[in-house]
Amino acid sequence: MEAVLTHHLDINAPLNLQAYRAAGGYRSLNAAFDRKPEEIIETVEAANLRGRGGAGFSCGLKWRLRGADAPRPRYLICNIDESEPGTFKDRHLLYGGPHQIIEAVIVSAYALQAEQAVIFVRGEYAKGGNGLRRALEEAEIAGLVGTNIGGNGFDLQIEVHVSGGRYICGEETAMLNAIEGRRPNPRPKIPRPSVKGLWGYPTTTNNVETLVNVPHILLNGAAWFHDLGVNGGCGTKLFCVSGMVQHPGLFELPCGTSARELIFEHAGGLAEGRTLLGFLPGGASTAFLLPEHLDVPMDFDPVAKAGSRLGTGSIIVLDDTTCPVQVTLNLMRFFARESCGFCTPCRDGLPYLAQILTAIAAGEGQAEDLALLEELSDIIGPQSFCAFAPGAVTPLISSLQGFRKHYESHIATGRCPFDAADRNGA
Amino acid sequence: MNDKLDRQALQRHLDQLPPMHPERRAAAVPMMQALQIEHGCLDDAAVEEVAHLTGLSVTEIDELATFYSLIYRRPAGRHVLRICDSVCCSLRGADRLLIAAENYSGVPLGKISPDGAFSILPSICLGLCDQAPAALVGDEAVGPLDEASLEALLQRLREED
Repeated sequence: MEAVLTHHLDINAPLNLQAYRAAGGYRSLNAAFDRKPEEIIETVEAANLRGRGGAGFSCGLKWRLRGADAPRPRYLICNIDESEPGTFKDRHLLYGGPHQIIEAVIVSAYALQAEQAVIFVRGEYAKGGNGLRRALEEAEIAGLVGTNIGGNGFDLQIEVHVSGGRYICGEETAMLNAIEGRRPNPRPKIPRPSVKGLWGYPTTTNNVETLVNVPHILLNGAAWFHDLGVNGGCGTKLFCVSGMVQHPGLFELPCGTSARELIFEHAGGLAEGRTLLGFLPGGASTAFLLPEHLDVPMDFDPVAKAGSRLGTGSIIVLDDTTCPVQVTLNLMRFFARESCGFCTPCRDGLPYLAQILTAIAAGEGQAEDLALLEELSDIIGPQSFCAFAPGAVTPLISSLQGFRKHYESHIATGRCPFDAADRNGA
Repeated sequence: MNDKLDRQALQRHLDQLPPMHPERRAAAVPMMQALQIEHGCLDDAAVEEVAHLTGLSVTEIDELATFYSLIYRRPAGRHVLRICDSVCCSLRGADRLLIAAENYSGVPLGKISPDGAFSILPSICLGLCDQAPAALVGDEAVGPLDEASLEALLQRLREED
């Protein structure tokens, strides 16, 4: 398969404007300007391009639902606040090919007839954000961004915002607050950002991987995009594989590629003599899958059918030297620390879960703790304000189901059975 | 007010605020970042100055400054090392790195090393899972690290100054 999104990426020496154009970059601008905005939205919808940031919602449908008659100004936000543990695809896109991102933002903003765009970059990627700013300057000087782009009467301003940190800023409505200089708590779901978003105006937010597909779809068509996938998937997907594999890395492969192929062919499989315990298919806030799920196509619907989520398409691999209780505790500590603190079930509930897991992992758990963890998860997830806490309890609930005997053995024996083994796999 | 603060530089952030932002408050985070690059952290005078320029209250600015993990209200060492402690790095030995870092620096995580050379902080996933266990030195990624390469790195940072 020919790489589409990673073709020109070079983290150490990203293409400048001239080199990117020589390699065919920015060709999609003419393809876009030759069409009416609604035609582009139809093509993106027909391509079945689904959100690569975790939610998997149809990009074209999202754009169409905002409405062609939405009040002005309209905003487009490109989300590069990648902070989901196990996920590093957007870092490669940002550091390796800033002009590809700018091209994608221009044609997407044109389709939405949005005159303002913000590219939101996580603070830990500040160096990549600087590279993006330099590329943006080149594009502005060349007249690719600004007023009357390409003599087409389309005006677009792009701002690069580098965040001050924190996982929650990647949440769509928390990001609006972050850009406005407010405390980045998530906002109520109604009114939707597509109606009242940034500064109260219609705002569309897409993950950067979603957007960089758009120029290619414009140039090659919806049918071409369909044909890139396998097992019913559409397009390519930037898969990350990390954890207990020989060669962790980023792999651009057909959407729908199996987890087995990703882990055992592309990421080099496990260390000699190890067996697979399980894996997270889509980052830290997805449910664990087990070895029996290895042949599930890594695409939105099949992974959901298997009881988890494709999420960011980032597989985190656990082998038989890994203590699943320790891993779940690590995830819960992450979420407890990253809670924005706005609502009580999340702010107080997640540290409580982490505390119980700490005791179990240390061999100090009680028999009734497992039922307590389940009961608390059932309360905390649905009662909290945004999708953060439901995401936080998802791996815990699946871990309690899939790795039950490991929890029971910690409690029954009063110790971690993996302590003797070197679980760090050195 | 702190005489060291470069008001003109801060004012430029306001002047350069893209017209898409109708309120001055949108400049708060970029201003805090600029102040931190210049002074290492935000002291009370800096917070007051950002409040003054953005038209927000000191409390509102402090609420932002203390919310963001990359904005410091206390001084840090000349180099800031963030060691990822999230799941992928933890699976590949980050816990041992954090212990080794504490032992080498002789102070708990978050404190400045006695010679002022560095502050070592645990961090959420840095998006460097393909180089796990990984860290950031300032804005530069390093990894995979082990105890020996971490100590060599800290030694180098110490000698650089």
